[in-house]
Amino acid sequence: MTDPDESERLARLEDRIKALRQSKEPRHHSEEHYSQAQVGWRMVTELVAGLMIGFGMGYGLDVLFGTLPIFLVLFTMLGLVAGIKTMMRSARELQRQESAREGGGNDNDADAGGEKRTKDGD
Amino acid sequence: MATEAQGEEGGLVFHPMDQFIVKPLFGDGPVGLFTITNVTLWMALTVIAVMALLVLGTAKRATIPGRMQSIGELAYGFIYKMVEDVAGKDAVGFFPYIMTLFMFIVFANFLGLLPMSFTTTSHFAVTVVLALLVFFTVTIVGFVKNGSAFLGLFWVKSAPLALRPVLAVIEIISYFVRPVSHSIRLAGNLMAGHAVIKVFAGFAAIALVSPLSVVAITAMYGLEVLVSFIQAYVFTILTCVYLKDALHPSH
Repeated sequence: MTDPDESERLARLEDRIKALRQSKEPRHHSEEHYSQAQVGWRMVTELVAGLMIGFGMGYGLDVLFGTLPIFLVLFTMLGLVAGIKTMMRSARELQRQESAREGGGNDNDADAGGEKRTKDGD
Repeated sequence: MATEAQGEEGGLVFHPMDQFIVKPLFGDGPVGLFTITNVTLWMALTVIAVMALLVLGTAKRATIPGRMQSIGELAYGFIYKMVEDVAGKDAVGFFPYIMTLFMFIVFANFLGLLPMSFTTTSHFAVTVVLALLVFFTVTIVGFVKNGSAFLGLFWVKSAPLALRPVLAVIEIISYFVRPVSHSIRLAGNLMAGHAVIKVFAGFAAIALVSPLSVVAITAMYGLEVLVSFIQAYVFTILTCVYLKDALHPSH
């Protein structure tokens, strides 16, 4: 159809258009920052909710068995651990998003690291 | 919920929580299970507003959308992409549910910002029901899709056998953390913001501080507009995240 020089120029133009279009494309949803304060809020509520659920479970069991302080203390501690665990999980989720945005590939490494850390924490 | 805190000055009276009182609309008796209250009214208005935007706004089905239709299409596209991106392609079947959730919360929040209105989402009774619906949906979907393998979520195979029961209790508690934090976040944010606006409004009784108080109310109102949208967004995106966990329990 056209001479090779022309078609090459066309291809280059196409590439440039594609690159420009990609830079304008809306970003992936999970990558979007919905304000850092919200992330902080989320973690705090998770921690407190864990404690509260542990406290409630322990108190309920104590009332049931009539052994007031034992289960209360035990389950509050378990609740704290559970709260920290949930908090760490959302932190890991964020970290994965961060590394996915920067490097693209190595989110498996980040995942493994976070896993090990939570294990140590327990 | 009615609190009465007298300031140091004689005339300064704060009623920051009075806006959250549930009262019957017709007559005043006790609030029973089927009493029509201001909560009922504002929830109905929320539903009507959502209908007006999504049904009436798009009724013309114009190829070139008008203002209402553009907003409706924008909301649709926004949530659809969120479900696809966050929860995955196979979660698109849950799109109607998630769209309903988002539209309801966003409209309830924004209607609550009108003066003299009632913020339904500032009540834990409302947000807990919303969060529990999400919780049950996610749990049932998890069991239906994965069978009893879903219980493997609570039984950590990589830990030593002696530790597993303890870890199971921890995992169960952390599973129940999600609906609790889900509901506390939405109601807490809205209730706190609206109460703060009322407290600032209470200070306007002193002539000297009243200009400052008006500025503070304006600033808080701006923040509340942001919070209204962000909280609805956070609620929906976390629903998507939980849904993804139920569909693909990799943890």
